[in-house]
Amino acid sequence: MTETLVRETVAEPPNRAAPPRRKRREDPGRGWRLYLPLGLYLLFTLVPFYWMLVFAFRPTGSTALVPWPITFEHFDTVWNDLGFGLFFRNSLLIGVGTLGVVSVLALAGGYALARFRFRGQRLFLLALLCTQFIPGAMMLIPLFVIFKGAGLLNSLTGLVVADTAFQLPLALILMSGFVRNVPVELEEAAMVDGCTRLRAFFAITLPQLRPALVAVGSFAFIGAWNNFLFALMFASRQDKFTLPVGLSYALGEFNTDFGALAAGGVVAAVPVVLVFAVVQRFLVQGLSAGAVKG
Amino acid sequence: MRIRGALAVALSLGLVLTGCSDAGGGSAGGNATITFWDNNGGPGRTPIYEELIKRFEQKNPEIKVEYVGVPSASVQQKYDTAIAGGSTPDVGGVTTSYLANMIGQGALEPLDDRVDAGPLKGKLLPNLVETVRQTAPDNKMYSLPSSGNLDVIWFRKDWFDEAGLTPPTTWDELVDRATKLTDVGKNRYGYTIRGGAGSVFQLLTEAYAYSGVEKFFDGTTSTVKDPANAELIRKVAELYKKATPEADVNNNYTQMVAQFTGGSVAMMHHNLGSYSDVTKALGTDKVGAITLPVGPSGKKTVVPNPTDGFAVFKNSKNPDAAWKFAEFLVSQESNSYWNEKVGQIPSNTDVRSEPWIEENQPVKMALGVLEDPATKIVPAPVYLPEYSSITKTDSEPAYQKVLLGQLSPQEFLTGLADKLTTAQQEWEARK
Repeated sequence: MTETLVRETVAEPPNRAAPPRRKRREDPGRGWRLYLPLGLYLLFTLVPFYWMLVFAFRPTGSTALVPWPITFEHFDTVWNDLGFGLFFRNSLLIGVGTLGVVSVLALAGGYALARFRFRGQRLFLLALLCTQFIPGAMMLIPLFVIFKGAGLLNSLTGLVVADTAFQLPLALILMSGFVRNVPVELEEAAMVDGCTRLRAFFAITLPQLRPALVAVGSFAFIGAWNNFLFALMFASRQDKFTLPVGLSYALGEFNTDFGALAAGGVVAAVPVVLVFAVVQRFLVQGLSAGAVKG
Repeated sequence: MRIRGALAVALSLGLVLTGCSDAGGGSAGGNATITFWDNNGGPGRTPIYEELIKRFEQKNPEIKVEYVGVPSASVQQKYDTAIAGGSTPDVGGVTTSYLANMIGQGALEPLDDRVDAGPLKGKLLPNLVETVRQTAPDNKMYSLPSSGNLDVIWFRKDWFDEAGLTPPTTWDELVDRATKLTDVGKNRYGYTIRGGAGSVFQLLTEAYAYSGVEKFFDGTTSTVKDPANAELIRKVAELYKKATPEADVNNNYTQMVAQFTGGSVAMMHHNLGSYSDVTKALGTDKVGAITLPVGPSGKKTVVPNPTDGFAVFKNSKNPDAAWKFAEFLVSQESNSYWNEKVGQIPSNTDVRSEPWIEENQPVKMALGVLEDPATKIVPAPVYLPEYSSITKTDSEPAYQKVLLGQLSPQEFLTGLADKLTTAQQEWEARK
């Protein structure tokens, strides 16, 4: 019996997994099988962007698939005739304003939610979550009336307030998760060494929350940057309109200026792409920290 | 520390830079500022209004006009929100498609007395005035009509010439031409069907042009299900995929126009609003327009498009200045300037004698139709609050089934007619 067992053991290859692993490494088709579908998917994703660029850079009336010679006539139209210069400035101010207010409030609120226990805390968190189910369009008329009473119509401040109100709940939920991820013992150690809670927060916790701030701030900026409904409804003066409103100008009742629409799309997309290009490292880090450990 | 600094900068930037709220409108020191909302703002129309506002302010230095271009797709929602919030403009561009809704909310001033007391008395195209009046339960004029629009068939003159064909004058000829001009190998189709958004309104204009039925309602019963209307829909549906691109089942007007201007279809049913798009893309020498062909009855029946105009809002703090501006926009000079630029039918009858009318074949032809005593105008019941939901939400998917052969034209029209009849009966009961 023992002999049989020994023989069987000897007859078995010492490591069954090793040869196939070598074989996989030598498989010449592996790259194709992986990268071909990925490449096709990438092409599929990029086609709308490609069309946007083609329409933006080729002359009116051209049906060429490659925009050559390149023309900037559509950019001239959107920037100078449609007023995208001003709309861009407005969108930027609203985006930065919302980013600033949301970041500060989310930081303070998120810290409080993570570090303190208070009556109704779970209910409050549930309420925050539930606000995400309410579409902005439903709140439009009540908000309009409130803003009118508060003198916030036709002002960029009003749009920052509206955008902040809609961005803040999610930002608070995310931020409280990020704060929970920072060990409370670090702060306690600082306080044992003589720091106040505020100083411990600024010296110890805040630097740890850098990825979180980038994540929350980016979402707030992009949310405000892309918001069409509030900008259209709360601003009734041309000089307070934003880029998404400007983009819809190119879609007329009877005619559509595809060149202007595409050029406007490029102008509107560039800051978002830049934001993601710069912060994506922090964003992934921040989101995964909040999602997995928070 | 750096984070703290960045936060402080961001917050202060946000609060300081955006803190530029200001009050609008009102009058100060005898000078009035009025707000004007353009219901179809964009690169094509905004510069025309800016020029007209400049001319108005030169003539009336005591009145300043603030222009706001509202994107056409959102204008109804913008007006509804402004009315609910009590923050409407002084003057606004409106079309008859949502005029009834605004009248129902009590937002607009009736303009009959002002028109009768001024230079526009007797100078407005009667068909357009009638279309505006029909939207109001009290038959008053709540909008000063400025432009008319008419459905036409745009066609490629060069393709017709190449094939030795003449433009169609009847629906059977249209079917014949569409079939002959189709060459799938060359990606050329004779016709394009609007099967997606906005399809049913367009289909009804075709059906009534074919059937010659002169009223939308017989009493309160909808005439939509008339067998002759069904016959036309069958003819159109039979063209689908044989003489039209297969994607037409989802076509909205943008896609239709893109197909036509892109050079893949020979004929397209749209309205005069496409004038600048089609002529810019193909040139005036390659494109022609004909009115919708007639059917076997030989009658010329026209379902008019929504009529554009200007409304004065009840909430206006300067109603006289607001009216003065609206009246200026429809004066001969302004109305001529505006309609020549956009290629639509001028509402001011004095513009008829302007030289540009003779040179603009589509507008001249459309004016001829509207002025012809033999033309029967069949206004669609856009005053019914349910009209839009019945013809769009309920009927557009049903029409797609007709195109795909899953529903018969007569069944489709019977369903549509029943809903319209119910809505009309409720409207009459509320009057």
